Amino acid sequence: MGHLFEPSNLSGHEWIDQYAQSPCTVAFEDYIRIYFSSRTKPCASRNYVSRLAYIDVSSEDLFSILKVSDQPILELGKPGEFDEFGTYPVSIIRNRDEIVAYYAGWTRCESVPFNAAIGLAKSYDNGYTFQRMGCGPVLGFAPDEPFILGSPRVKRFNDCWYLWYASGRAWVREKDRLQPVYKIRMAKSLDGLEWQRVGKDIIPNVLEENECQASAEVIYSAGLYHMFFSYRYNFDFHLPDRSYRIGYAYSEDLEAWTRDDSKAGISPSKEGWDSQSVSYPHIFQKNEIIYMLYQGNDIGRNGFGLAKLEHYQDPI
Amino acid sequence: MKWEKLGQIFNPLDHKLPLNCKAFAKSPQAIVFEDFVRVYFSSTETDQVGKLLSHVMYVDYDLKFKSIISLSSHQVIPLGGLGCFDEHGIFPFNVLRDGPIIRAYTTGWNRKVSVSADAAIGYAESHDEGKTFQKFGSGPILAASLHEPFLVGDAFVMKTKNDYHMWYIFGSNWLEHSESGQKERVYKIAYAKSSDGIYFERTSKYIIADRLAQNECQALPSIVEINGTYHMYFCYRDAFGFRTDRERGYRIGYAYSTNLQDWNRDDARGGMSLSLSGWDADMMCYPFVFHCGDEVYMLYNGNEFGRYGFGIARLVSDY
Repeated sequence: MGHLFEPSNLSGHEWIDQYAQSPCTVAFEDYIRIYFSSRTKPCASRNYVSRLAYIDVSSEDLFSILKVSDQPILELGKPGEFDEFGTYPVSIIRNRDEIVAYYAGWTRCESVPFNAAIGLAKSYDNGYTFQRMGCGPVLGFAPDEPFILGSPRVKRFNDCWYLWYASGRAWVREKDRLQPVYKIRMAKSLDGLEWQRVGKDIIPNVLEENECQASAEVIYSAGLYHMFFSYRYNFDFHLPDRSYRIGYAYSEDLEAWTRDDSKAGISPSKEGWDSQSVSYPHIFQKNEIIYMLYQGNDIGRNGFGLAKLEHYQDPI
Repeated sequence: MKWEKLGQIFNPLDHKLPLNCKAFAKSPQAIVFEDFVRVYFSSTETDQVGKLLSHVMYVDYDLKFKSIISLSSHQVIPLGGLGCFDEHGIFPFNVLRDGPIIRAYTTGWNRKVSVSADAAIGYAESHDEGKTFQKFGSGPILAASLHEPFLVGDAFVMKTKNDYHMWYIFGSNWLEHSESGQKERVYKIAYAKSSDGIYFERTSKYIIADRLAQNECQALPSIVEINGTYHMYFCYRDAFGFRTDRERGYRIGYAYSTNLQDWNRDDARGGMSLSLSGWDADMMCYPFVFHCGDEVYMLYNGNEFGRYGFGIARLVSDY
């Protein structure tokens, strides 16, 4: 349906310089709030700091932007904390009368450029701002998940909390840079605080052993669970044919997943803001229509756009 | 508690250490075998960027600590790979005999940018009587969590009939010195419990009362049971100035308990204080208390965090 939000068109929001990544919605009565991550101008070391923001769009016309957050919705962590150097991405869910956010917090390291872990925050003002529930991560490192826990996607199905996330597997040297390899994993919880990890990669690779997988968005529809996620090659992913695509898998029980990217039904456009890559899908429903928000070229440098489901065919 | 100091028993400068290590023999921790005692410790190698890497090694003593039998020359446990929690060192290394295996609780170190380092607790097992240890995964069993933001380390694990009890430390904040701008950490002792020795449940609460101001740093708890009373030794210091100022550096603290849950701090009763001169006159740290035959011993480090090795003391009276 087109390009919905271009961050560089904003004025008066110094802290939103470029990028609007990993959109995620919460519905209000008259509008839909789209949370996303943006970046300040890079510092002297050319490193970025990602901050969480939102725009409100009209429920009647999703391309009509009513408001842009005038400050980041979540503070960064203090020195030494897991989220000192960035918050990206975020997954926000309503839970009874609360609005709860799971986000990846970023820190900087000496031997590798960064690390990430998953934090938890809640809003006490109807989603305008969020406060951390603790100064450490709600999902941190474990024996077989040693680093880079990122791109959380939280859902509730059948009175159970589910968290899909990316888990770092290795750091691989590409010329003078180090690139992480990460795979989609899953954890379950009864309260959203104590998480039981499934402890295995749940989506098989199709590109290569070091395929990077992230941002697994799961919906339930027509008797099946459908997962839309992002995947790319490990190296040279700035090249269009090696950069992010949206993959697809389905499951009957949330345990066993069958990958079939050919059924994702969305790929880069011939030209324009999403012609080189598409990634970080988020799915929501409005007036019986299923929509997908996703980021385009260069991992969302020019923001995100909208698609709607035109045709559904049972994948089985 | 009355201790007789038996003096320094290991000085790394007197030995050819393995793994390119040159100085320090930190956090001695013992396992008593039938006819010898194995003391694990961490020494340091200087890496390409001029910073220290801590490696685990051990030295075997006769049962009276009169003489050294041998010093390990091999790799006891490897450091972690790129980006792993224990990439830049393992220190301390807590060992627990448990039937046919020896369990190890490692404190792994990794360097950071805005603060000097972070740490987490890993797990490893030995199936060859403590010569080598195999890691349980490349990540930690106890890392930063919702209410423990960083610097999770210094595990000491005790097995009782049905449970594994862990005392460890976690960091609460990094303080910035008002003049130098240098960031220094604050951490204290906490407790966790497990039924299998690997998955620990924690309460994320500090359990030992401060003696100094609120920024007292407490490290390396070690516990020995004598006639139904549990005696905890640990080290503590000021948050600033502790490297060079004798008045602010590490000393040995003490607390006792009869139920492993409620601890009464009473450093004076602990009976261990700085010597008037010599290798442990400026600092005492990283105590490890254990039974050996009919005796109770304390291994500990002296000046400069163990740069000159460790010594031992014998418990004369538990009154």
